[in-house]
Amino acid sequence: MHLPEIDKYAHLDSPLHSWDPRVKIVSLFCLILSMVLASNLLVAGLGLMLAVALVFLSRIPFGFVFLHLRWVMLFVLLFFIIMPLTVSGEEIARFHFLSISRRGLELASLIGLRAFSAVLLVFPMIGTMKFSSTTAALQRLKLPNKLVQMIIFTYRYIFVALDEMGRMFMAARARGFRSGTNLHTLKTVGNLIGMLFVRSYERTEHIHRAMVSRGYDGTLRVLDEFALAKKDFLKAALVVALALGLYFAGWTL
Amino acid sequence: MHIADGVLSVPVWTGCLAVTAAITGVSLRKMKAEDTPRIALMTSAFFIASLIHIPMGPTSVHLILNGLVGIILGPLAFVAILVGLILQAVLFKHGGITTIGANTVMMGLPAVGAYYLFRLHRLFKFRVSAGIFGALAGGVAVFLGAVILALLLVTTGSEFIVVAKLAVWAHLPVMVIEGLIAAFVVTFLKQVKPEMLGA
Repeated sequence: MHLPEIDKYAHLDSPLHSWDPRVKIVSLFCLILSMVLASNLLVAGLGLMLAVALVFLSRIPFGFVFLHLRWVMLFVLLFFIIMPLTVSGEEIARFHFLSISRRGLELASLIGLRAFSAVLLVFPMIGTMKFSSTTAALQRLKLPNKLVQMIIFTYRYIFVALDEMGRMFMAARARGFRSGTNLHTLKTVGNLIGMLFVRSYERTEHIHRAMVSRGYDGTLRVLDEFALAKKDFLKAALVVALALGLYFAGWTL
Repeated sequence: MHIADGVLSVPVWTGCLAVTAAITGVSLRKMKAEDTPRIALMTSAFFIASLIHIPMGPTSVHLILNGLVGIILGPLAFVAILVGLILQAVLFKHGGITTIGANTVMMGLPAVGAYYLFRLHRLFKFRVSAGIFGALAGGVAVFLGAVILALLLVTTGSEFIVVAKLAVWAHLPVMVIEGLIAAFVVTFLKQVKPEMLGA
């Protein structure tokens, strides 16, 4: 099993990488909103093109991006299979007893375009900086301190937990465990999950004591210093103008 | 089980976001400051355990485990699930940005429900009561999640009725698997580390 590294391409150099994290998160979030609100196929299509352009501008390789689209594809596919067959409306094609409705097809396409645009924008938004910058920016944007800490610690320890689980499954396989559709598999997996929980639970004690002995008092102190430049605001103005443009284009087009 | 961006109507996803923000605000206030690393560590364990795929005939399903999160973390499970979903959306692009609220409501509320359901096992003194209530809590949490998912889709538009029905049916086998897994995990914890179950 493998965990994708979201900030694998944080070291690149692009207009998106040099953008202030706080302004970047807020501006691109506005753009994501405008994609989700796209009310017709034309606007949603424009949105998708804009999202692709921003990924291109961020220099994050398209191969990397494509690998991460698996879940969205599955999700959109589900709607594409079901909605044209079940939504009532003008019939555009018919195979035996199946009839394809125009409205269903349009609705599924709209959902697909919106979902892909929103997901693509996560790459220029989060993938163009170190994850620690993202969390520091969230802290500065006044997200609750405890929530930001939860995100930081959880992110830090999922890699530890992943290694732990990998070792446990390897040991189980070495003892002859093969997974299949049976109760024995469920019982073995249940015990392994239980063991993972027990080990994490015990580790929390050690980690907590180690943190307290280093002066942890329950608050998070962010050391990253952000400096806003005129360029940051120019980029923000451009992106927010695009978002508003898309939104209002939906009313007139 | 995760809703991506671009499906739900604006009132639905903003409403869910508001509910999530309210519950998270209250939970964070109740959470002691020094508990943060502890809850986070358990959240990462749940995050990883939910990556496990269970073979089901020719295909496989991945675990949701929201019932177990509830059983072990209690009402704080809601925040744990929010954090898990934020990381899933960012790392795997599983879920969405605007739908984080909807997904948290869908999995977090049943998780808290599972906690209260599981607590009833103490009323019964026989040996396997923890396992039985673990199975109930694990299964019910998935079922409630599927029902909330269906409700969110249907409130968005009547075009989604068939998708919503299908989503509930598709979760029935998952419900059985989750229930059994929860029963085995709870039985294991009862023997090895009963204090984790609040005993």
